[in-house]
Parts: sequence; structure tokens; C-alpha cells
Amino acid sequence: MAATAQDSQAPLRGPEKKDEDREDESANRCDSRTVSRQYEQHSVWSCLQVITKLLYLLNQGESFTKKEAAEVFFGVTKLFQKQDINLRRMMYLCIKDICPGADEVIIVTSSLMKDMNSKTDLYRSNSVRVLSKIIDGQLLAQIERYLKQAIVDKSPVVASAALVSALHLLGNNAEIVKRWINEVQEAAQNKNNMVQFHAVALLHALRASDRLAISKLVTSLTKANVKSPLAQCLLVRYVAQVIQDSQPGPNGEQRPFYDFLESCLRHKAEVVIFEAARAICNLRDVTARELTPAITVLQLFLSSSKPVLRFAAVRTLNKVAMTHPLAVTHCNIDMESLISDQNRSIATLAITTLLKTGNESSVEKLLKQIGSFMSDIADDFKIVVVEAIRSLCLKFPTKQRALMNFLSGVLREEGGFEYKKAIVQSILVLIQEIPDAKETGLGHLCEFIEDCEFTYLSTQVLHLLGQEGPKTKEPSKYIRYIYNRIILENATVRAAAVSALANFGAVCEALRPRIIVLLRRALSDNDDEVRDRATLHLQQLEGKAGGPEAVQPRVDVNLTALEKALSDYLAGPTDKPFDISVVPKAPPPLRGAAGGLGLPSASTTSGGGALPATSAARKDPTAEYAELLRSIPQLAPLGEVFKSCEPFRLTEEDTEYAVFCIKHVYEGHIVFQFNCTNTIAEQVLEDVSVAMDLADAGDFEEAFTIPLETMPLNGVGQCFTVVTRQPGAIATGKIVNILKFKVKEIDPGTGEAEEEGYDDEYVLEDLEVTPADYVKPTLLGNFRKAWEELDPSTEKEDEYGLGQREALQDAVEAVIGILGMQPCEGSEAVPPNARSHTVLLAGIFVGYQQVLVRMSFGIDAGNNVAMKLVVRAESLELSEAIHQIIQDA
Amino acid sequence: MVNVLVVGLDNSGKTTIIERLKPRPKQSMEVAPTVGFNVEEVQKGALTFTVFDMSGAGRYRTLWEQYYREADAVIFVVDSGDKLRMVVARDEMEHMLAHPNLRKVPVVFFANKKDLPISLPPAEIAQALGLNDIQDRPWNIFPSNGLTGEGLDRGMDWLAERLGKA
Repeated sequence: MAATAQDSQAPLRGPEKKDEDREDESANRCDSRTVSRQYEQHSVWSCLQVITKLLYLLNQGESFTKKEAAEVFFGVTKLFQKQDINLRRMMYLCIKDICPGADEVIIVTSSLMKDMNSKTDLYRSNSVRVLSKIIDGQLLAQIERYLKQAIVDKSPVVASAALVSALHLLGNNAEIVKRWINEVQEAAQNKNNMVQFHAVALLHALRASDRLAISKLVTSLTKANVKSPLAQCLLVRYVAQVIQDSQPGPNGEQRPFYDFLESCLRHKAEVVIFEAARAICNLRDVTARELTPAITVLQLFLSSSKPVLRFAAVRTLNKVAMTHPLAVTHCNIDMESLISDQNRSIATLAITTLLKTGNESSVEKLLKQIGSFMSDIADDFKIVVVEAIRSLCLKFPTKQRALMNFLSGVLREEGGFEYKKAIVQSILVLIQEIPDAKETGLGHLCEFIEDCEFTYLSTQVLHLLGQEGPKTKEPSKYIRYIYNRIILENATVRAAAVSALANFGAVCEALRPRIIVLLRRALSDNDDEVRDRATLHLQQLEGKAGGPEAVQPRVDVNLTALEKALSDYLAGPTDKPFDISVVPKAPPPLRGAAGGLGLPSASTTSGGGALPATSAARKDPTAEYAELLRSIPQLAPLGEVFKSCEPFRLTEEDTEYAVFCIKHVYEGHIVFQFNCTNTIAEQVLEDVSVAMDLADAGDFEEAFTIPLETMPLNGVGQCFTVVTRQPGAIATGKIVNILKFKVKEIDPGTGEAEEEGYDDEYVLEDLEVTPADYVKPTLLGNFRKAWEELDPSTEKEDEYGLGQREALQDAVEAVIGILGMQPCEGSEAVPPNARSHTVLLAGIFVGYQQVLVRMSFGIDAGNNVAMKLVVRAESLELSEAIHQIIQDA
Repeated sequence: MVNVLVVGLDNSGKTTIIERLKPRPKQSMEVAPTVGFNVEEVQKGALTFTVFDMSGAGRYRTLWEQYYREADAVIFVVDSGDKLRMVVARDEMEHMLAHPNLRKVPVVFFANKKDLPISLPPAEIAQALGLNDIQDRPWNIFPSNGLTGEGLDRGMDWLAERLGKA
């Protein structure tokens, strides 16, 4: 349908394009008015032309006002009297695309329903599509039987249209669509490729939320004979998903469905073969044996005459090369011939794959080949090349000179921002990871900023020069480059250059007098910021305003908290100066971690893609509650909440009152939030609060409570109890809680509450505050460096027996759960069948103090697990607290 | 070619009447509430009527006006047995006749469902709807029975005559 519409627009495109926007606009106004009158005086042909023009305007992104849309829409509806197939098709398209307000669009329902029962296939199929787009649940139930019929219609066009419509309807009317399962199953047996494809997709979508049902469906479909290649492709994808979700069997047992995927490699259709090969390559922890057949078919594709197959194959192999470079080496000869492929995308992917699989000796040869066509390919692919070179450089540090030269060469060529950024980032990573590359890298970057049109990159490089330059053997040689910026660039870059220069002055005492001379010249700059920075830094270098050490002040506040505090400050009255002391302190900067240079952290360097994924999956209750806590004025003086714990139930299930407690840890307080729900309709509970008996928790002192006015019926109301402790202390203990409230019975006659109530209490479950409440997970780039930077004297080591466990993974997950810290470098995943494993954890304690944990697990023949726990922290007390958490558990 | 707009409250018998106007083999006895509108073509002597069968349900009534401009005639169907909603019908009718887009076209009122024992005679309906106040356009009211088709021909003949004159 859409394709024909486009074809009919094609002849229009020429003249229309030349039109000015304004003319378009007026054409559209004019059209919308005429179309409504067209039908009377004009032939079907002229109506067709008008609708085509309107659709063209819509597809060009032109939007109609509400009034225009309504006018056009009603104009079109009046054409339902004409029985012309072509016109009707355009009407369907027009109604679907304009789709005015819900109140208006329903006017066509009856006409479409009539078409749905028409004898013409085209009417039936297209009216189903339009109808499913405009219909609501109530009407859907009325026409359900027609749609069911359409799904099993003899005409493939109609059946496909109904199936696709059902897929769209599934979003809002899943209940109704689920009732059509028998028809859909019948359609899945249809001989027509397209119908089968849509039916399989719908069958899957119907079960999307139920993993077990999906698994069953896939099992039955793999046994049934799915003829349509497209449907088979879908099936391969679903199978891959099922494999992904299922746990790999122990002892190298074959995964379920692997045989099916392998059999698909011998399918008639290339598209199925490729899909299966790709699925195998993407299997989690795929073994070399499983990969071999897939790689073999991909290798055949490499020498195919169809560019799309070559591209698909080389792209997949490129990905595989990252994880299994050895498996891909068989294809190297085929890939080398692709370097000269006419299609630059194929050539690029071939080269980068070769770079990944190549050995040290072939690096130079490949670089030469890339250099020959680098200027011919698009920026996107250039970025791919740059990234490949970066990882190659990290792999063969001895080759860094050649690779660095290559990077600096491409840096000088023309290119967009993203491309230049990728190169600069790569050089930054190399400087950081390979000490030998530092001087040359800095040199290349200096030359780059001599002629760089991107302010963002210039400032980044200048900052880096300011940081790293003074530490090199010959700092003075960078000064010329930086000073040139002050003379030649825009204000932002000039300001960055001033700061960078000042850094040289602060660190290298020998250079200081010369730097002062240069900075003086910036005093007459015509930009405020540049002048201000120059003035400040001059004063500092001359020993005032904190002295040279203050040039690079250590930011010791939590930056996100600072941002939040500042925006809060700006939102309120600003007559009082901003008080920075309310902003929580940050952990000391982790020098050496990738963050130090403002880089996109570890994922680029260590390839630990799993790291951000796990942290995203773990939902952070603190952020959820922070907004609520900030909105309560009594809690505001406590500062920023450090951590909020998961809700803990304090009542039995099915009791009169449901109370959950959430612990919020502050610097010097703990706020207990009680979420209370009244489940009895016959009474009103007022003035609700929780009294705490702190006899077993001597380190705490009750501060105040915020009572809840009335406990809502079947809703959630909050009351708070706040206790104090020594700021930053890790106070623990057991707390006995009593819920206090005033009960007012509801008179069943009037339905109103009595005026007089009586006080009552209800004993809740005990609460415990443990050391684990004071620690929260934190993301860490480079664990080893952070570990070495912590004082070894805080290290504390102990061994624990964890008893019998099913597998090491269980034990690891249990301990991570108890400690509530962030696993680093993907170490939380135990390799299958491992007998021992080491897990690295990072966390911060209240007061933003870093804690790192290294745990070594071992499992013996009887499945007994033992653990060695080594902790380093900012103080011995914290290390002991971590051990305390494990001992208590 | 004449465009006729068929309006009236829900369940007054509009779609049934139009079915009865069609040639006998094409008629269908089963009629479901119209959602939105339907277009039908009906031959009457020398004239071809394009009939816009509008839905009478409350939420669709505001959409009638979109079709006023093209209307050459209006058929307004009233349920003679529905005394309770006669005022609603009057309200809708007055609303329609006052609309600027509707030209001074002839209006046929069908006092439908005359077979019902409780049905009001046309004169009383004309009274209840205040038809006598309509001065600016030709109108007439006919008792009808949509199920048998009784009375429809008289109404359509009158309409054909009016339109023929114009």
C-alpha cells in the first residue's frame, strides 16, 4: 500500500521540491479547502491527485493545524460514496496519516466496518488496518468477530493486514487480542510466506511476558515446519533469546536448541543462514566448537557476489573477532581480499577485523593499507578504524610509535567533530595506559590544537597539557603551544589556556617567572573570564590568595550534590550567600582512575561492558526517596541523605495495619520512614507515630518524630522518626517499635467518624540497624589502582566458611547481597565449573569514605565454600566494620 | 445526484429506513447501531440520492455539522413512541436548522414506528417539535414504519418533487 502511494507521488516530487516553503504552506491551505469540495464537481482522478498532494505534504513533515486536519478529514470521509479501488486506497492512507482527534475519527468506524465485509480483498485488508489504528477497546469488542475472521481469511493480503493490526492492538487491548489465539495459530500454518511471518511474530508477542510460554512456543515451532524464510528468521531470533535467558548446562552439555540453529545453517534461504550464523556468534560464552560451523558459512558469504552478504558476514565476523580472535583467523585470507572491495564499508570492516585478529608483525602492513583509503570512507567508519587502532595499540604496546603516528596523521586530515573526538580520546587513553607514549602523544596533541576548529576538544587538550605537561622532562616546550592559544583563539579556549599555563607556573618553580610574564599579557584580554582567571592565577603564583598550591584546588565536594544544592539555592530567595558547607563531601579523587582525565571511564579501557549494565539494572532506592525527603521541611536541616535501604515489613501480612520501614542514613542521623496503610474501613486512625525503645541500641538518641495526621484507608501515608548518632559513626543495634495512634470508630449508620476517639498502640516487629546500612555501592574504573592507593595498614584479612552451597555463583551472590557493594570489572560472574573465584567489590561508607573488598572463594568436592575476605578502607575501623557485617550474617 | 443527510436521535430507525429504500434484493433485515456514518446510494425515479446515514448516538451528533454544507435535503427521523426524548429531538433539530452551513434545503420528518401502540400522531409530533415555527424552508411530516416500508414512498415522493422544482 505505502509503496504504491510513493510511486504515485514520484512525478510530483520534481516541481514541488523547488517550491519555497511558503508556497508549500499556501498550497496546503488551498488544498485542504478544495478537497472537501472536490468530490462533488470533480472526477475520481482529480480527487486522487489532491489526496496525493496532501499525503506528499504530510510525508514532507508539513503539519496541518487541527482545523485543517479536520477539514481534510471530513472532506475525505465524504468520498466513501465513490466505489473506486484506487481512490479508496488513497482515502485509507489519508485517514490513517491525518488521524484527527479521537472524537472526530470515530465517524468513519461504520463505513470501515462495511468495507471490512466487502467482497474486494483490498477493501477488507486496508479497512482492517485503518480500523485497528482508530478503534478503542469498547468498539473493538464489537467487531472482534470480523477481525478473527480476517485473520483466517483466504486472501493473504487480508490475513496479513489483520495479523499486523492485531500486533498493534496488543499494546492497549491485550486481553481481547489474546482471545484470538486459535485463529492466529491457524494462520501460522498458512502457506503464504508473509502471513506465516506475521502470525509467528504475533504468537510471540502474545506470550512476550511469559518466559516459559515463549520457550514452549519456540519448541513447538522448531518442530513444526515453518516454511517462510522470514518466519524462520524470526524463529531463529526467538530461539537465540530463549538460549540467552536459559542457564548454560553444566559440564559442557549442549545447549538447548543449538542443533536447531545449526540445522538452519543448511537452510535454502541465505537470510536464514545468516540469521542462524549471527545467532550462534552472539551466544553467551560461545565455545570454539559451537562457533566453527557458523564461521564456515560466514566465510563462504565473504566471497559471495552480493555486496549485502559480504557486508553482513564481515560485520558479524568483526564482532566475533573481539571475543574470539582465534576463530576468525581462518577467514583472514578471504578478508584480506576484501580490503580492496569497492564498497568502502565492507573494506573498513574487513580491515578493522584484521587489525583485531592480526599479529604484531602484520600491523605495519595493515596500517599502510588503511592509510590508502582513509579519505574515502565516511566518518562513522573512520571512528570504527580509530577504535580498532586504539585497542591494537593497547594490545601491542611496542607498536605504539607506528600507531600513534597513524593517529596523529589522521588527526591532521579533515573530519567531523565526532571523528576528531574519537581520535583525541584514543590518544588520551594511550597516553594514560602506555607511559612511553606520553611525550609523543602530548606532542601530537599540541600540534593538533594549533589548528583545531572544535572548542570542546581544544579545551580538553589544554586541560590535559596543564595536568600532564609540567610532569614531563621538558615542560617548557609546551608553553609556546599554550601561549599561542591565548593570542589566537576564542574566549573559551583562551580561558582554558590561561589555567593550563598557571598550572605550569604552579608546578615548575623554574618556569614561574616566565609564566608570570605571559599571564600579565592576558590581563588586558577583552573577555571577563580570561582576565579574571589571569588575575587570580597571577596573585596565586606571586604567593597571595592561597599561594601556588591553590592554582589547582582539590574539589572535595560531591559534584552532583553540589549541583543539586546550587539549583535549589537559585530556586529560592538568594539574599543570603550560598553555604557550601551543607554540600556533602566527596570521596577523594581516585587518581589514576580513568575519571581523572575526564574520560568515559573504564568501559573503554578494560572492555568491561558488563559493568555499566549491572549498575543500571540495580535500581537505586536512594534516588527514589531523595525527592520525597527533600520535600519535608523538618528533615531538610539534616543535610543530604547518604543511603536509603529497601523497605522492610514490620507487620504480619493480613493484619489490620500494614507498616513498612525504610531506613534513610544521614551524616549524623538516621531517619526511619514508616509507610502505613489502614486496611479497616470501619475506623479512622489519627495522629499516627512510631515510638522507639532504644534500650538495645545505646548509640542512638531519639531526636523527633513527624506524625501522620490520618492513616489513609488502603493508601500509603508516611510518618517519620528521627534518631541521632555520632556524625559518621557506624552505630548499630536492635530497636523495638510501637505504633501509636488515636482510633475513631466510624458510625455504620451515618458513615461519619465519631468525634471522640481513644489512644491505642500496636507493637511492631523489631528493627535492626546493621553496618551494611552505612555502605552503598559505587562504580569504580580501575580497581587495582584504587586498591594500591589505599593505605595498606588499614588492610584486614580473615577467612570464613560459608557451608554447603549449590555452586560458587550462589555463594558469591549471597555475599554481595549481604555487603551491598558494587562488584567491579565483571568479577561477580563466576565462570562455569570454576573451583575458585575472586570477586572485587567497591563501596562507600557514610561520610563518603572509600571501602574496597577483595574476596577469594573456593569450593571443595563436598560443595563446601570457603572465603578469604581482604578489606582496605580509609580507616581500620571501617575495615573492621566490613568484617563485622560478614560475621553477623 | 442529490445529497441527502439522514439524522435523528439514536434508535429512531434511520438505518432501517434507508435499508427499506434500497431495492428489495439488496435489503438487509438486520441492523446494528451505526458508529459514525454510512453512505448509500438510492435510486428514486429520475433522481439518484446519495444518502449520508449519520449515527444518532450522543457523541456523534456534534459531527453532523461537518456534512451540512453539501446537503441538498435533510431527512429527520423521529421515534413516535419516544415521548420522553421528544424535547431532545426538538433541541437537536433546532440546533441543526440554525446552523449557518445548512442551506435552506427541504426537510422531511418521518414520524417513525407508527405501528407502536403508544405512538403519537404526526400532528402531535409536529406540535411537540414546534415545526409550525419553521418559516424559511419547505418541510413536511409523514407517519412511517421502517420495518414494513409503509409511508416512506410518500415522503420520498414529496422530497423528489421539491428538489425537482428547485
